[in-house]
Formats: sequence, structure tokens, C-alpha cells
Amino acid sequence: MYNFNYKKASSRDDAVAAQSSADDGSYLAGGMTLIPTLKQRLAQPSDLIDLADVGDLAGISDDGGAITIGAMTTHATVAESEVVTSKIPALAALAGHIGDPQVRNRGTIGGSIANNDPAADYPAGCVGLNATIITNKRELPAEDFFTDLFETALEEGELVTAVSFPIPDKAAYAKFPNPASRYAIVGVMVAQTGGETRAAVTGASQSGVFRAADIEAALGSGLDAAAAKEVKVSADNLNADIHASAEYRAHLISIMASRAAAAAG
Amino acid sequence: MNEMSNKWIGQSTIRPDGAEKVTGRAEFAADTNMPGMIWGSVLRSPHAHARIVSIDTSKAEAHPGVKAVVTAQDIVDFPVDTPVPLGIQDMRWMCRNIMAREKVLFHGHPLAAVAATSEAIAAEACKLIEMEYEVLPWVIEIEDAIKPDAPILHEYLEHDGKPSNITGTLEHKLGDVEEGFAQADVIIERSFTTRPVHQGYIEPHACLVSVAADGKTTIWSSSQGQFMVRAMTAMLTDMPQSDIRAIPAEIGGGFGGKTIVYLEPVATMLSKKSGRPVKMVMSREDVMRASGPTSGSMSTVKIGATKDGQIVAAEGTFYLQAGALPGSPIRGAAGCGFAPYNIPNVHSVGIDVVSNRSKVAAYRAPGAPIGAFAVESVLDEVAEALNIDPLELRLRHAAREGTKAAHGPTYPLIGFVETIEAAIEHPHYKAPLGKHQGRGVASGFWFNAGGESSAQVNITEDGNVVVTTGHPDIGGSRAAIANVAAELLGIDYRRVSVLIGDTATVGYSNLTGGSRVLFASAMAVTDSAGQVITTLCERAAKIWDIDPDAVTWEDGEARPAGDNAGQFEPLSLADIAAQATQTGGPIGHGAQLNTTGAQGGFATHICDVEVDMDLGIVKVLRYTSFQDVGRAVHPAYVEGQMQGGVAQGIGWALNEEYIFDKDGHVDNPGFLDYRMPVCSDLPMLDAVMIEVPNPAHPQGVRGVGEVPLVPALAAIANAVHNALGLRFSSLPMSPPKVLAALEMPEAAE
Repeated sequence: MYNFNYKKASSRDDAVAAQSSADDGSYLAGGMTLIPTLKQRLAQPSDLIDLADVGDLAGISDDGGAITIGAMTTHATVAESEVVTSKIPALAALAGHIGDPQVRNRGTIGGSIANNDPAADYPAGCVGLNATIITNKRELPAEDFFTDLFETALEEGELVTAVSFPIPDKAAYAKFPNPASRYAIVGVMVAQTGGETRAAVTGASQSGVFRAADIEAALGSGLDAAAAKEVKVSADNLNADIHASAEYRAHLISIMASRAAAAAG
Repeated sequence: MNEMSNKWIGQSTIRPDGAEKVTGRAEFAADTNMPGMIWGSVLRSPHAHARIVSIDTSKAEAHPGVKAVVTAQDIVDFPVDTPVPLGIQDMRWMCRNIMAREKVLFHGHPLAAVAATSEAIAAEACKLIEMEYEVLPWVIEIEDAIKPDAPILHEYLEHDGKPSNITGTLEHKLGDVEEGFAQADVIIERSFTTRPVHQGYIEPHACLVSVAADGKTTIWSSSQGQFMVRAMTAMLTDMPQSDIRAIPAEIGGGFGGKTIVYLEPVATMLSKKSGRPVKMVMSREDVMRASGPTSGSMSTVKIGATKDGQIVAAEGTFYLQAGALPGSPIRGAAGCGFAPYNIPNVHSVGIDVVSNRSKVAAYRAPGAPIGAFAVESVLDEVAEALNIDPLELRLRHAAREGTKAAHGPTYPLIGFVETIEAAIEHPHYKAPLGKHQGRGVASGFWFNAGGESSAQVNITEDGNVVVTTGHPDIGGSRAAIANVAAELLGIDYRRVSVLIGDTATVGYSNLTGGSRVLFASAMAVTDSAGQVITTLCERAAKIWDIDPDAVTWEDGEARPAGDNAGQFEPLSLADIAAQATQTGGPIGHGAQLNTTGAQGGFATHICDVEVDMDLGIVKVLRYTSFQDVGRAVHPAYVEGQMQGGVAQGIGWALNEEYIFDKDGHVDNPGFLDYRMPVCSDLPMLDAVMIEVPNPAHPQGVRGVGEVPLVPALAAIANAVHNALGLRFSSLPMSPPKVLAALEMPEAAE
């Protein structure tokens, strides 16, 4: 780890101000990716702005049509939340299978989506459920937020404050976890929200989360699991690594989408 | 078993290390600190194979904060033409493993080490060491290493009269296999491969070494043998053993992988040169790249039987990766594979192959799971061909008292038959299976070991007991020894404190390995406790002024042996301890033994799997292991050993493997990429302990720690075969491979 300045922000404004005055400041949420990166000297921010004490960044609220989750809400909180488990059980289940108990009790939704790891679960959850990402400056649809591998639409200093999920009619997430890391080799969120069917895929693509158009077409309005299983997904532009080839991942997309659709019922 | 009351032996008493571990107070090697301590860091080879042309450490030495630099020049050179055995190791290879000498032999091979005032400075200074290499072609896999044109790692090691990567062979013969196969109606011959897998201990290698100005050296380290640490460090640094005190820290797992040194001699030289205590801790990546996993293997097994179900001949050839320097566990593979069976004609050959990967280290029944995977897979096919139940086939041929094993011994009383009978009778074996589910069985053997062990049993002034033994506790030996001592002395186990001594405070004790610790140390403790009881009786006799022969020790107190001895109130341990000074002084005795009579361990496993036909995932649904445990001195720990072995076997069979990239580097050197199972991947692993006490041991102990892993790979593969009709001859049966085989059965090979 290289040296850095540490600042514990007391409010959103305080955090944003600290970031803008730093040479190369970085927000610290749960630190589940950032801290290991620092320890391995793969990053050298001048300042870390810790969001842990910004109280109004954490919490879950239900405004009837949507559930809004504060950026600093941990995965464990989402997984156990009465509101989430009753209104969007697919999202609670997704959060409940991220990493391990230690990660789930430190890692946050805001940190996860701002990092946009191509094998993380939340990006599929956000895009599949057609969530809105709320920052200190604006609101934007999840599809526009995740731009590429570890890249988001966030501008320098822009802070994710919450994610708002419309309550779907039906949804389920199916994940094939990496047997070592438990990240998604392929994870698919299938959801039907206000008549629209979505299948968002994480883990598979070289450019991060994406909507699988051919799967969505096959699922149709009835979430036809059998039809999704028959879709031959192209392996072009899919990840290949020591755990799974691009072809195996392509195969997993159909199968996991089909299983998610069957679970969503 | 003798006629003891067995109040404590057989009880799952509270483990003595539990409270310290769960509250974070247990002191592991990396937790140790000393005033003035500095940090050591290792420069490791970026190449899989290269000749070292030159090393220039001058810039590193001049770097601010650097206190010492060592290279192979600081480590004793054991010339390659003269073997120097130390246990199962050879110091010729050990000196070259801890620090590359003529060549670097694998990616991650240590080249030099730097000690500096901080870990970061030491790491930075390593980068300032200027290396010049002549990069050489490299070879990783066995099949490539034994090709005639393969790059040769050690030009001076010959096989068949020419330089070769085959660096050792071992052969077991019984009867005449050619004659045997001539009688066979059914002959099945198959080839198999397994991948190297790491022990996966959670605690990386770590040590703190202080060499004082007078040369007196103290080593705190994580190892499976403080005496091994002392001996190897002394030999590699040219110091007398009496100058070294090796203190075993609490250990975070070993499974065999901590039976050799990596850091201790290097830290010793850094401390000697710098005059400061030096701490070294491996990263997980260092552990995965440069410490010893177990061998990958390539084997062929052929078994012949008559049509009435008699196995008449068996033959096996087992090639094992040794890593960069000779010494793979061919004895375990070639010796244990056929050991469970009474087969008249056996020929078993083990072949040691070096290649450009880290030198292997022991891993739980080293080599035996590899042998059993091949043999037990073929046996399954033989049973199928003969239409005999696979456990019935094993039972018919099961070794028993008097059976002559191909690897040498004629078995004394063993409990193998009992494990198969228990499996046949168990409800698991008859439980119905669903769609895409299958059941497999397999058996296995491990030698178990005896050897040197020392113990000291001291009575405290208030009449309690301190037992000191010399083996790091990696599997519950302290808890079990507390039970043994409490039983012998007739007192509550909570009054017995069991400690692991260091090399200065307890007599020589060989490694924690070979499933030997409880077997050997219980004998030393029994001997010591017997002497203590004799002394206690003598002291009581003195107090009562009667003959010592007229005193007996029962239920923790001295009593007159009979009415003729006189009428006296019994004297408790506390009563006698209170008068120790007046009756002859402190009470305590020790023993230093070379134990014999360790007898083999046998196990039989039943495994049910379900295959996800869309994804290729093999899920273990139910697993029951049956093991002759001799005497379960502490049943919860024995059960834990059985479950732990099976869990490691499931990882080995289904997902774990070292993966090398196109440059000969390990591509998955960490738990984010190395696919070890976790609890949520496993069902409850049921353990059925069968007690056939070892008659050669005072408590009936047999080693229990290693054999639980041996049958697992084959039991799982046989279950997959039963589910799919596909026989996987190469491990791991990872989901992409299983899916490919479902689509194209050749992919199973």
C-alpha cells in the first residue's frame, strides 16, 4: 500500500468537496475491491474519502411503486430487508449470494455499481430490473450508467447516492458462480416490469453487463423458459478465462436465463 | 484395548486451543514481534527455467533501509553428486529449493532475499537486484517431460544411461503377473491423469528469526516439526543444532505442506548478516507459486479376473510430478494403490518425474489418493464386467490379518473387512437414487507411521498435571493427549494442560506427519505417566511408611493395595504433591521413544452425486465414510479428520487444479482463482468410525488423519460413472469438462 490522505466525510457535501480538492481522490464505500487493490499497489489515490459516516447514504425506502436503496447499504442489509424480500425477492436473493458473509457485511450497493466489475451481480440486477441510478448530480437509467468494463457514466467526483428499483411483476436471478471466487461466471436477471421483459447478463461479456436481446425475444411476455433454453447465444465478444471458455459462457447464458425465467414463474 | 475404565478416552472433550483461537489470542508465527525487528522479502524467478549468469546485489545493498542481502552463496551448498538424506528429504535438493543455485527451475523460485526496515523497502530493494539469465526451454507436464527431446532440468541426473527428467523409480512385486493375467477371463486396462492440487492451508508460511551476537538463534515459525526446522536450518546455514532453538507457533493448517522449510534458513542468514531479528511472511501468491502442492500424475492400471470373480493379477505404473527437484510420493501411489487387496500377483511401479514447477511437498497420504483413483476406478469396471456388486468384489479380496501386501508387510490385525461390511449394511448403500444421480464406492489404504517421540509429564505443586510433547498439533493431538493422560492418572481432563515444547524444552520428536502423532506421543505419554504413577505410589508408601508394592493408584488416588497393607485414607494427587518436597522432591517423568507398531489405516467410502445435465456440475448429495480408526481417543476430532479428508478429496476430484499459462507460470495463484470447495458446496459428510484397536498400542491407536482422503477421488468418479455411464479418467471433473463429455463422451478421457 502506498501512503494516502484519509478523510472521513461527515456529509455528502463534505465528501464531494473533499474529493474535488484532492489531487486524485477516491471515495471509499465498503472497500471490498478498493482496499485489496491498494494493498497490492495497483492504485495510488492521493486521498481516500470514507463515506462510512455519511448517515443518509444508507437505508432502504419503499415509496409504493419503487424501492430506493441508499448507496452505502450493505449487501447483507438488502438480503435481509423485509421490504426487499417481500417486494423484490429476486434482488434480496441476488444480494444474499454475493461473495461471503464478510463481504456482504462490508460491501455496498453503491460501491459495487461504481466499480462495475464485469462479474459482479448488482449490474445485472440494476439493468434487469430497470433501476435508476441516483447521483449527487442527476438520475440516469442503469442501462446508461454501466458503460464498459469497470467503466461507468460517473463523472469525476460524481457520487452515487442511491439506486431506485421499480417493483417488477416477476423477477428472478440465476447465477453460475465461479467455483473459486463466487463471482458470476454468468449471472442473468430475468424480470418483467410494467409489461417489459428484460434479461440482463453479467459475467459473460468483455464489455460488462448487457441485455441479451435474443433471450428477451424468446422469453416474450410469458417468460417462456423453454424457449430461452433453446436460444443459441453467440460466443463472439464473450469472456474466456481459465474457468470457462467463451462457448461455455454462451451456453450458460441460455441455461441461466431459462432457469431464472422458470424461477420467476 | 486394555482393561481401562475409559472415562476420558472416547470422550469429545473441550479442545484446549479453542478459546484462544476463537478470541484471536492464539499466537501464529506472523503474530510474533521483537524489538528491532526488520522484514525480509524474497526475489523470485520471472522465468520457468533459466541458467543464472550473474547476480548483482550492490544496488539493493546500497538502498536506504536495507540491512542485509542473501543469495545462494550464503546457503550451504550440498554437491549434487552426494545424497544427504534428512527424513524423506535430501539436502542436495533442499538447498537448491530454498535458493536457486545454478539455475532457476520454476517461476517463483527464490533467487535472493533482502532484509530492510520495512516490508515495502525490502520488496523495493528486491527489484534493484540485477539478474542476468540464459533463458532455457521449459517443461511442465509429465507427458512432455518424459519425451526424448524434452528440456532436461538436471543434466547430471541420468535414467537409462542418459540425462533424463525421470529421477527415480520404485517397484513392488508379488507373485508373477504374467502368469496371473494368463489365467484371467476379464482384463481391464485404463490410463488416468490427475492434476496438481495444493493443500490449501489458510495460514501462509511465516517465521521470525533472531540470531544473537553470540550466534544463539531463536526461530518462531509455522511448521509441522520444530525439530525438522532446527535440523534443516542448521544444515543449510552451517550452525550447530544446539545453537538453534526452534519454537513451534500455533499453526493454521499444514496437511503435509509444512514438513519442509522455505523461509527459516533464509531469515536466519538475513538475521545473522544484519544483526537484527528478521520476520518473513509469504503472500498467498508466494504460497501458491513456490510452496509444494502435491503431484500431478499419469498412471495406467491393469487388473485381471476370472469369470467366477477372482482377481488374479494387477499391474500399475504411476508417473508422478516431483516438481523442479526430485522426490515425488511414488511410494504412496505405487505402494498404497493395491495395498487393500489380497491379490496373488502384483506388479506396481512408481516413476518420479521432474519438471519446471515448484517442488512438491507432502499432502495428506502423499501419493495414495493418486494410486487409489486409478486402481479403484479399474476395480469398479472389473466388478461391472463380472456383474458383481463393487463392495462385494472388494470384500472378497479384502486384506486381513495374515495377508501379504505387495509393498512388503504381512498384515497384523487390521479392520479393513469391517469397513466394507459396515458400508454394505449401511442404509446409505440401499437408499434409492433419482434421475441423473449415481452412487460410487471406493476403498483406500495409508501406511501410518511411528518413529521418534518424546514427552514429559510433570505434577504441579497443587497436584495438577502438565504434559509436554514435541509435535505441532494440526489435528487435535493436544485434546487427545489430555484424554489419555487424564485416563491414565485417573483425574479430570481439565486438570491436564498439554503443551507443545520447543526444541530446547522437550526431547527430539519427529515431524507431525504420516498420521503418527497421537500414535507415537500417546506411547511416550503412557510411558511417562506410568513412571509418574510409580513415583506417586512410592511417595504414598513413604507417607504411610509401608512398602511401595503395597500401594496402588486408582481413580486418581493412592490406596493401600489390600487389607494386609494397612488401613490408610487414600491420598489424592494434590495430597501427595503437597508433600512432594518432604518425600523426595518434584514429581515428573519423561520418555524418549522410537515407537513401532503403527499399523495401516483402511477406509471405504460411499458417495452419491447428481449431475446437472445442462451445466455439467457434479454435486455431491450424500457421502458416508467408514474407517478403521483403531481407538477414537477423541471422537469429534476423528470425525473432523474423516470429514476434512473427504472435503479435500471432493475438491481434488471436481474442481481443484493448478493451471499454467503459456509462459510456464501458475495462472491461478490465489483463492480467487484456485477452485477449493467451501462448506456451502458440500453436504454433511457422514463419518462412521469403526474401532478395531491396534493391539500394538497401549490405547489401541491407529493413525486416522490421512486415509480419509485416499478413496475419495475414485468414489466420486465411480459415482459419476454410475450416474452417466461415462468414466472420467482425468481429473478434475469440472463443469465445462463434464458438459463437453455429455455432448461428446471422448472428452471424459
